[in-house]
Amino acid sequence: MTQLTFRDTRDYVAIDVDKGIDHRTGKLVHADAEAPEGYERLAKCKFCKHYQAEDASNGCCTAAAPAFAAYGDMIAITCEDFTAVH
Amino acid sequence: MARTFKEVLSEAGISMDFEAGGKAPAALTDREIQREPHERVKYLKERYMEALSSINNEFPYWYTREYMRNDLELPVVRRALALKAAFSHLTPAIYPQELLTMRKGPFVRGSFAMPWLTNSFFLAQGDALYQAAMKSGSASAGEHSKFGAGGGNVTQSFGNVVSVAGKFGVRQEEVGILVKLAHMWQDKSVEQISNRYERMVPGYDIKEQVMRSLVCMFDSGFTLPQGREVINYYYPLEYGFDGIVRMCEEKMAECAGDAGGDGMVGTNRLYNYYAVKLVIEGVQKWIENYAAEARRLSGVTPDKQQSAEYAAMADRLQHIAHHQPRTFIEALQMVETLHIAVVNEDAISGMSVGRLGQVLYPWFEQDIAAGRITEDEVLELLEQDRILKTSIDPFASTGVVGGVLSGNSFNTLSVGGVNRRGESAVNRLEYLILEAGVRNAMPQSTIALHYDERLPEDFLLLAMDVIKSGAGYPAFMNNDVAEQFFMQHYACENITLEEARAWSIGGCLESQPGVWKTIHLNGKSYEVPGGACQPTSVGIHFLAMPKILELTLFNGVDQRTKAQVYPPHNRKLESYEEVWDQFKLYWQLSCKVLELCNNLQHDIWRKNNMAVFNSMLKPGCLDSGHLINELGYRFNATYNVESCGTVTWVNSMAALKKLVFEEKQFTLDEVREAMSKNFGFKTAHEVNSFSISDQQKREDDDGRFNRLHFALLQAPKYGNDDKAADEVLLEWENWFCDDCANYQSLYAKPMYACQISVSTHGAQGSATCATPDGRLAGTTYADASMSAYPGTDRNGPFALLSSATVWDHSMSQNSQMNVKIHPTAIRGPEGSKKLLDLIRAYMRKGGFHIQFNVVDTKVLRDAQAHPENYRDLMVRVAGFTQYWVEIGKSVQDELIARTEYEGF
Ligand code: SF4
Repeated sequence: MTQLTFRDTRDYVAIDVDKGIDHRTGKLVHADAEAPEGYERLAKCKFCKHYQAEDASNGCCTAAAPAFAAYGDMIAITCEDFTAVH
Repeated sequence: MARTFKEVLSEAGISMDFEAGGKAPAALTDREIQREPHERVKYLKERYMEALSSINNEFPYWYTREYMRNDLELPVVRRALALKAAFSHLTPAIYPQELLTMRKGPFVRGSFAMPWLTNSFFLAQGDALYQAAMKSGSASAGEHSKFGAGGGNVTQSFGNVVSVAGKFGVRQEEVGILVKLAHMWQDKSVEQISNRYERMVPGYDIKEQVMRSLVCMFDSGFTLPQGREVINYYYPLEYGFDGIVRMCEEKMAECAGDAGGDGMVGTNRLYNYYAVKLVIEGVQKWIENYAAEARRLSGVTPDKQQSAEYAAMADRLQHIAHHQPRTFIEALQMVETLHIAVVNEDAISGMSVGRLGQVLYPWFEQDIAAGRITEDEVLELLEQDRILKTSIDPFASTGVVGGVLSGNSFNTLSVGGVNRRGESAVNRLEYLILEAGVRNAMPQSTIALHYDERLPEDFLLLAMDVIKSGAGYPAFMNNDVAEQFFMQHYACENITLEEARAWSIGGCLESQPGVWKTIHLNGKSYEVPGGACQPTSVGIHFLAMPKILELTLFNGVDQRTKAQVYPPHNRKLESYEEVWDQFKLYWQLSCKVLELCNNLQHDIWRKNNMAVFNSMLKPGCLDSGHLINELGYRFNATYNVESCGTVTWVNSMAALKKLVFEEKQFTLDEVREAMSKNFGFKTAHEVNSFSISDQQKREDDDGRFNRLHFALLQAPKYGNDDKAADEVLLEWENWFCDDCANYQSLYAKPMYACQISVSTHGAQGSATCATPDGRLAGTTYADASMSAYPGTDRNGPFALLSSATVWDHSMSQNSQMNVKIHPTAIRGPEGSKKLLDLIRAYMRKGGFHIQFNVVDTKVLRDAQAHPENYRDLMVRVAGFTQYWVEIGKSVQDELIARTEYEGF
């Protein structure tokens, strides 16, 4: 598995679009910096079986009927239909 | 080097750095009162200070997805379903050490666009945003935006962050969906639908010209369709959400298919109650998502104390998702949650919290008595509340957020006033609220103190300490004047004196009556005041008086754009009365067309985008089954006419009257020529600054306007207890306050006068040519409505107060007076007493509002030169407190130029 950036991990809470806090260490970290190994992957559309990518950032959600636009970076911890891809 | 405006003013006896009543010390003087917040709050405040204003697409995504799915549903139910989906999908963001939680979005300063309201910005800027997103990522991963000028504003794109309108940052990965969502609302947004109908208004072309020339600041019907009003937290605090859902279900059974004697909208009650139930379910899910996150964090956090705090937070959230709060901290958390729910429902600025200390008193009193909490712990929570409130970033069209609001959200908190029986309403919790305002000085909640002769002296003296901390609050508001205004204006809605006494400030200065409700807690009853009014954010907003005077003098032609804004009047303007008469005609022409267009805009809003959650909170929607759009609120006559530039206009008219029409020293043509040539100065565009202090003479200026300019600058000026100027003000106020009633809101209620400037005196000043008071083109007007033009109030503060009270302030919703005082002028206990005496004098004369900047002007200058050293410096602008680094340069310069009182 490729290394996750902080913003793709469950251990990160964003302060803003650029940085956040690593809950494991309490430290301020850059959103796009690589997280240490072992950090839990965050549920996002791009990690969901229902997501069909159309380009690097955009795609559609096939769980919606009819399918609806989606974007891979959306956090999906509140989405009832999220199904993780491995 | 060309001569500067400052030098010219100085020769005319008007110093931009005028120190009245003494001389400021040479050294930089700090504020006298400085206290530290609790350690936990310091940590959280640091996170706020680091945070950039950030937007994402969760809320608009789920809202749009659900809305589009239900295209055959009834409008109110369709909207409720969309809101439910949006709330239930918001990602919770909980930060270490916080005890209170929940935010607009998953950032410290999160926000989001609402393309169903207004989408033209993203449609127009889509390509530019795409380009910025394409370029992003090329910068080094470690590149961060710079703090300093701009504060938390994302003024430029950097790294993987794209700047939206110089204010918000969005991740480059989200730009595509941001623009796509805006396109999904193509021809469906309130902005676009209403524009189709606005065009049917006779004189629509004038409306377009009025907007382009900046005679009027914004389309109020959809830009901020709610706000500048007082929230009401009562129902959830009394019944809990489960109780309200049960109430809705019972009411639905009662009124299904029953017109209830109202053949027009009686049957709508079923759909309205159903809509309320749906939105509450969404909000409950949102709270439970936060509770689940707190529980999860408790499980994974190794630090025992932090883990326990997360667990306690989870318990509180789970409880308030369903029931009446049990403790003070639960009640405060409930209030935070309700507040954010309301500002997430719509584009809102100025959702004021009202008399929070009185609303939360039942829990405070019982927790303290039972030893469940200490006053110090309450103080710590109140300090945290200030971080949460300051973190609310309104998202509206950029001209409004930046130009009008200076990025401010105006969650004003009121203290003081009287209870239902007319006795002082001050309680112990309100002392702590003031104390928290000193210890954790942040822009929100800004504090309004409802001044009444019956308030305790030690409370008022504590308020002096808060003012001396330089926080810019509390502003003092006159309880009696407000009540008189309500009794007159809301007579059409049968207001009672008791309801007038329940008033609070909405927005920065928009006074609103309220209602009293009874909280029952552990067998004890408490009467609490709360909001019951429609918004004040809608109406004819910010008409620039100096700009209309310019158009009057130049036959309806805008001197900046050369456009014919109004039909030419072709009058010779041979007397002061004729100028005044024509000014009134143009003013009324603007008001009429804006009244009709804004009514249409807001009518479209109420049909498709009505408030459901906020309606649920406001008495008497739950009683009647009618939401805001069906006049469900107790008070609906809240739409108003807002003026801007009063004092610049008064000074201009006074100068014309004396020099042109009475003494005939100059002809009107000479004045007009000098105005159009900017008195021999370069234009603000040429010097690339709209600031008063940066203006320079043209190199080729032959000095032919010097004598005229000098005379205009020396003409009578408001603020000196000089009848020649003050009578102009009196004539204006008497006419204006009456004229407002000629315009009617979409709810068929008369309008009234509102006299605040917020930041429009900068924005509208930038579009106005030189004025007959000697002010230069493009520079700010005098701020507020009762503040003197910088440097022109030369007879001391009591003369200024006399000028301001020549008219009856109870004819208007408000008036606004800002005074700048050097910290040494009010030092020590004696200084506090002097300051309180000054305020009392103004209130006794009938002034409605006064507020203070206690700051050394030299500090402001240093802050302008070195913003990086002043990230937390706050100033009072015009009705609100804001971080110095987050306001524009022209308003900064105007603040620097204001007369500084060294003693009185
Ligand atoms: S099911 Fe949910 S997480 Fe999966 S693609 Fe659709 S919206 Fe995203």
